[in-house]
Amino acid sequence: MSTGRILVIDDDPQIRRAMRTSLTAHDYQVTDARNGEEGLEKLRSAGFDLVLLDMNMPGMGGVETCRLIRSSSEVAIIMLTVSNAEKDKVGALDAGADDYVTKPFSMPELLARIRATLRRLPQPPDQTELRRLASQGVEIDLSSRQITVRGRTSHLTAKEFDLLSYLLARHDKTITHRELLQAVWGPDYGDELEYLRVFVNRLRKKIEPDPSKPQFLITEAWAGYRFHLPKS
Amino acid sequence: MTQISGSGLSERRFLSRLFLKQVLPSSGRIIAALSLIAAITFVFYRLLHVNATTTGLCYLVAILIIATSGGLIESTIASLAAMLCLNYFFLPPIGTLTIADPENWVALFAFLVTSLTASQLSARAKRRTKEAVDRQYEIERLYSLSRALLLTDATKPMPKQVVQQIAQAFEFPAVILYDRHRDEIHHAGEEDMPELEERLRQVALRSTVFLDSERGLTITPVRLGGRPIGSLAIRGSSLSDAALQSLLNLVAIGLERALSQEAVNRAEVARQSEELKSTLLDAIAHEFKTPLTSIKAVTTDLLSDPSHDLPRHQRELITIAAEGTDRLSRLVTDAIQLARIEGGKFTLHREIHFPSSLVSAALRQMKSLIDGREITVSAPDDLPAVWVDAELIQMVITHLLENGLKYSPSGSPISINARSSEGRVLICVTDQGPGIAEDEQSRIFDKFYRGKGEQNLKGTGMGLAIAREIMDAHGEQIWVVSKEGEGSEFCFSLPLARQGGSE
Repeated sequence: MSTGRILVIDDDPQIRRAMRTSLTAHDYQVTDARNGEEGLEKLRSAGFDLVLLDMNMPGMGGVETCRLIRSSSEVAIIMLTVSNAEKDKVGALDAGADDYVTKPFSMPELLARIRATLRRLPQPPDQTELRRLASQGVEIDLSSRQITVRGRTSHLTAKEFDLLSYLLARHDKTITHRELLQAVWGPDYGDELEYLRVFVNRLRKKIEPDPSKPQFLITEAWAGYRFHLPKS
Repeated sequence: MTQISGSGLSERRFLSRLFLKQVLPSSGRIIAALSLIAAITFVFYRLLHVNATTTGLCYLVAILIIATSGGLIESTIASLAAMLCLNYFFLPPIGTLTIADPENWVALFAFLVTSLTASQLSARAKRRTKEAVDRQYEIERLYSLSRALLLTDATKPMPKQVVQQIAQAFEFPAVILYDRHRDEIHHAGEEDMPELEERLRQVALRSTVFLDSERGLTITPVRLGGRPIGSLAIRGSSLSDAALQSLLNLVAIGLERALSQEAVNRAEVARQSEELKSTLLDAIAHEFKTPLTSIKAVTTDLLSDPSHDLPRHQRELITIAAEGTDRLSRLVTDAIQLARIEGGKFTLHREIHFPSSLVSAALRQMKSLIDGREITVSAPDDLPAVWVDAELIQMVITHLLENGLKYSPSGSPISINARSSEGRVLICVTDQGPGIAEDEQSRIFDKFYRGKGEQNLKGTGMGLAIAREIMDAHGEQIWVVSKEGEGSEFCFSLPLARQGGSE
């Protein structure tokens, strides 16, 4: 069965109780926190694989907590939101979340999202592609998912890394939105264009010398994305 | 009283009349001028005996003084008097108005011309000076007024402040302003002139100037870009034409500024109240959904895990709880959606979208409900793009789909069909349910209306009302075609992007 350490950050005790009981029964190790501050504190002490983060919390809200977690950690984050509104979803992803689930959710749905978020691409990028990218001034360290562009170093989250790997392995080919979503997030996905928009933007900020004028991650209007890898 | 149209000319005539009135010499000043001439005559005739030339020069000096301190009329009268005195007292034969030596005729005539010219010149110079001083005064007043109008207190009505500032800056005894937009009259100054209100309205309406010289009253229209926006009555005005025009322009700008400020304030209040409502509804949604979340997580987990090996009756009971949770959750969602969009007071976030992607996004949201139902979708990718709020249109599709799923037998197919029709895109959801009786068809879009029959209790009675509110906000239609026993087709229209996008 699945294993992994999950931190549940939610201000509602009943939800924390239900999550703890249910996720533990599904072989996850669960720790919980009552608010953003406590969550950040607990995150510092132990290695977690995933954070379930409530969006609406008193004090430091979910989005702010997410941003703070992201500033120091690449742990996977799923946001739990009440609102189904586009702007809240995009807000969550923009703050650095990997996925979101709308409350109230069914447990099988949440478990599927957790599996999809923790799911890794089987293959890291090829050495030849990494070398060609390095000759363009972009160096990627596979073990630490660290990326260096013109002396500026940043870390990629697992999902960002997978998205980059998938595009890089198929460089100079247009990959459709659906194919990308299903490959990187899982077979249950396919229409979540907002995920790609946000994640490609996040990647561009880390990999492109000038994110407003992308030279690697090219948008193919209405179709998908293409990784342009110049010949060295 | 005179009513004159063709305002420019009449304003000038009125002002020149006022000017004349002001400079008309008082009899006191004439007497003073004549006394001065008499005094000189007395001194030179009785006390100092000097020749006529010296006396004439002294007269000239006196006339210059009179012309500088008085006006043209005083100095002209003084010139004539001096000429007569010179002739009578100093030119031989003395004591008569006749002159013996023809040379003296020339001298006397030269004296008269010189004194008249001198008085005219100095009077003109004096008038110029006075005019310059007046203009400077007017400019200073106008400047202080424009400053005051810029610094008006936003919490008090602007027109009221405008009249007060005018009365204060120019020290007019009475100023009345008629604001045509609000149809209000504002007074400043000592007296109230109720009978003038009708006059003010007429002046603004006809854009003509009204003069009442007896009371020193002018009523002029206030125009902005040629359009009369009010009228201004001033009592005791001595303003030049140009200054009056500048004053009217300032008033026009002030009134216009007040109007635009009001519009901004109204928009701000509306925005804040929409924001407040939205925040409040978010909080309510959160409070209701939090307990529902834990119930749903628990029930779905129990039902999903075969290893729990639940006895059948327990599984049934938990299923009932799970269904109740879903229903309650839907009720909360629908009630909040309805509250959010009711009355059309919300902002549409229109963008260009393709009908096929709207349909597939709606289907994705419904994934869990669709399970096991046959849904045929016909939404060609080459349909023209539409100009809509995607989130709301998806909501319409999901409500129609939910309706179809709820009110048709569980094995029956449902179809979604998007097509182009008469410059719009139509999206229709068709089911093969029992259909809707004709007398009910007009009422199903009403809030909380639910069809007769037990299966209708599953609905919240809000879905179709929400759908209609959303379509109303887009300025589009939603309707149903249904026949009892043959199923129903719900359709709505969407505007094409090319029309809307160019707005």
